[in-house]
Formats: sequence, C-alpha cells, structure tokens
Amino acid sequence: MEFFDVNLQIGRPSIRQFGAVSSVAELFQELDGTGITRGVVWHIAQRECGADAGNAMISDAIAGDDRAFGCWTILPPLTDANVMTADFLDRMADDKIVALRAFPDHQRFQLSRATFGSFLDDVSERGIPLLMSFLYPMEWPIIYSLMKEYPKLTVVLCDLGLWGQDRQSWPLVENYPNVYLESSLVSLLAGGLETAVKTLGADRVIFGSGFPIHSPHAAVLDVLHAEISDMDKAKIAAGNLMKLIKKAAGK
Amino acid sequence: MSIKSTLWERFKTSRTLDDCPIYDMHGHWGSFSGISMPASQFDIAKKLLLQSGVKRLVICHHHSLHSPDIGNAANIASVQQLPEILRAYMAINPNYPEVIEKDLAEYDSYPDVFVGFKMLSGYHRISVDDPRYQPVWEMANDRKLPVLLHTWKGCPYNGYEPVRKVLEKYPDAKTMLGHSLFDDWDIAAELGANFPNCYLELTAASQIRGAIETMMKTVTSEKIIYGTDFPWFNQPYCIGTILGADITDEDRRNILYRNAMRILGE
Repeated sequence: MEFFDVNLQIGRPSIRQFGAVSSVAELFQELDGTGITRGVVWHIAQRECGADAGNAMISDAIAGDDRAFGCWTILPPLTDANVMTADFLDRMADDKIVALRAFPDHQRFQLSRATFGSFLDDVSERGIPLLMSFLYPMEWPIIYSLMKEYPKLTVVLCDLGLWGQDRQSWPLVENYPNVYLESSLVSLLAGGLETAVKTLGADRVIFGSGFPIHSPHAAVLDVLHAEISDMDKAKIAAGNLMKLIKKAAGK
Repeated sequence: MSIKSTLWERFKTSRTLDDCPIYDMHGHWGSFSGISMPASQFDIAKKLLLQSGVKRLVICHHHSLHSPDIGNAANIASVQQLPEILRAYMAINPNYPEVIEKDLAEYDSYPDVFVGFKMLSGYHRISVDDPRYQPVWEMANDRKLPVLLHTWKGCPYNGYEPVRKVLEKYPDAKTMLGHSLFDDWDIAAELGANFPNCYLELTAASQIRGAIETMMKTVTSEKIIYGTDFPWFNQPYCIGTILGADITDEDRRNILYRNAMRILGE
C-alpha cells in the first residue's frame, strides 16, 4: 500500500532536531521502505523565520520533484501585504503549493474574520486545505471560532495528540463538512483509528506521519494493521488527500 | 538513515510474529477521567491485545491509582479476568500509609496477580524518596521486585534528583523509569548506566524520534523496556516506533520482550 503523507516537514530548526532533513531528496531517502511515496511538505523556516523566507524556501525545495507538494504559511493580509499579495492563491498553483498552514500563536495574530476577511472566503471556495497543527501552541476555541466564521473552510487537524483529542475534535468533524483528522496521533490511541472510522467515516481521516518529530514507521504500521476495510485503508493512506488536492486544483 | 530491518519487513505484513512476542511493562486498565479511550472497555482491550501479539501486559488499574476507595481490588479483579495476559503492579498511594500497610500485608496472598509496585508520584504529589514510600521500597529491595515509577523531566516528585536518591538507597529493586524521565533522555540513560537494576521504560518516550538512539549512546538495549500505557497508546504504533528506530533487530528484540522476560523471571 502506498501512502501520501499530509504532514511532512523539512529544514533544520534553530534548536537541533533529531532526524531533521534539509532537502526533499533527503526526506524521501529517510522514508524509503516505509511505503510513504508522496507528501505535502512544509519547511520549518516558515514558522521560525517567517512566511516570506520560508514560503520561498519550500517552493524551491519541492520544485522538480514529483513526489513532493508544498504548503505555504499565511499571515494577516493587512499587515503583511508583501507575502499576502493579491495573486497569492494563483501563485500557489504555479509553485505546486496545495495547502496552507497558520501559526497564530508564534506569529502573533488572530485567526479570525476580522484579520483575514475575504481571503479565507476565497480559500474556502477553492477548497484549499488549511493544516492546523497541535504540535505548537494552539487552543481549541480558536478552531471552533474559525469554523463558526468560515463554515465551508477545509481544515485538516494535525498532530492531535492523545489527551481528549476525540472529545475536542470529533464535534468539529461532525458539524463542519470539510474538517478532517490527520491520522498519526489519532491512531496513537489504542483502538482510536477504528473508532474514528466507525463513528465519522474513513472519508474524514487523512494519513500523516508528523515526520521528523514522529515516526513514519509507526504511523504506517498503525494504518496497515487497523481493523478497518482495505477500501477504508486506501482512502486514509492516499485517496482522501488526492481528492482534496484535485478539488483545490479545480480538477 | 533509511531503516534496514527484517523485523520491520515482517511486521508490515503480519500483525504478530511468533518469534517476537510483545511484553508490555507499562499498562493500565479501565477508564480515566481526562480522556475517552475505546480500550477502557474490556472486550475491546482484550481484542486489541490478542491482535497485537501481546503475551504479557503488566498493568496498574487507573481506579487503583486514583481512588483509595477502590484501591487494589480493581487490580486483582482485572488480572483475574484475563490471567493469561495480565499481571499487576500493586498501586501505591503514599497519601494513605494505612492503606499501604494493609496492601503490603496482603501482597503474598496474590502471587498470580502482583509482580511489583507502581508509584505515581507526580499525580500523588509526594516525592518517590519520601519516607511514606519506605516500606514499599524496603520490600522491593529485599525481594528484588520490579517498581515502575512515573518519571518526568524537572518534576520535583519524580525527576532526576529524587529518582537518583532511591536508586542509591535501594539498589536491588528492579526500578523502571516510566517514560524515561521524559525529554531528559541522556540523564535517564546516565542513571540506567550507573545503576545495574535501573531500566528505562519507553511509554511516550519512543514516540519522540531520536529518544531511543540518544539513550543508546550511554546504555545498551538490555536496559530499555517496551511500554505503552495501554489502553492509552496503540500497540502497532508503539511497536512501529521501535521498528523505526536506528538500532539493530537484536536491540529491538531486547526491548520488545527479552528484557521484560528476564525482569519477570519468565
């Protein structure tokens, strides 16, 4: 089974990270043998240096490699017009950028309609996934409020962790049609993946490993051995993400 | 590094391997107030353990740890419900010395249940070297019994300093550092290297890539123990973290079952 990973990171952070890789070539060398053959990749500089430098770095890093798609960081359009240009969403397609990330805590903004206005309406309309990671400081009320303001927004909740992830995230999946769960730490919970699929459906779970912080082998093994149908495994492993990307590309 | 492992290739196609049983030395049982866990239900837990080839899971029931009014009765009942897989650590809550005294007096009445003790000092807010734990440590030390500690970086109750004190004072107890002083991997490894009966247990730790490799700069794989906090963490995920670490298959076997079998005398 081939896996299409929505949650891959490259780049060396300012504080040394075990197993961090500098390039897409190194990334797929690390993933060799896991079954992860494609992925949506972001660069740690997008968070640590800023969107201007980081977005350019990930565009350069994935260029020419068919295995990798990119992910850009968004900032408030009012203050950061140099990054959030009028043609931002069109430039994404040119650079094979298929998803967005936001770091409201680290980059100090409100992830809200007051800050993003019609930009996130356009993102919603195009079906571009916004990847929200709980690896970094992130409060659930922010996501709940965001979804209330942009109910059609496509959001993938990544790096959910163990503590109450289902109690916090499942109501969002149930109430908003375009909210998805990234699999790695959903499947961390014993029986978690099976229960999520049974309750929410396999269409709402997308494979992610959280590399390099978390183990791609572990993420893969959990899906392979989950007690769900082969069809559901295929959706989670690659099908659901492919569908999202095609939708965002207007195909 | 790209991992080259026969075990990885075999586990990819088979959920269990007869020649690589799973010995999980850090388990729990039942429900817990802060989290919804499918495997807190008996039928689901049993099924998941069997499906993953878990030959032995040593538990301490959540209710035994968190309710003195329930106490170790929950541990005894749980092991008796699934004796082919489960053994238990006697739950020790030093806030209730009178309960400890009674429990220790009854320890030998349950030779098929208890294999040692579990201390959850960070939750009970009493340091592992506090005198209220003394009768337990003395018994563990005299009988060379396993003691599973919950240990965490910087914690005043179960961080490096208090843990080192009990290792010095009770060197014959088989002390397992649950979570390996989480995020203090090199310090945990130092303790594992300096104290012959101190082991590093991997619950939550193995999920952070590099933790095992960092520990193994200082200790051999014979001092590292597999654990999952089951019914918290999923067995395939945790097994995958061991298979994906940059170590040998012999190391993986030590971690997944050999060391635990030795500690349990099986």
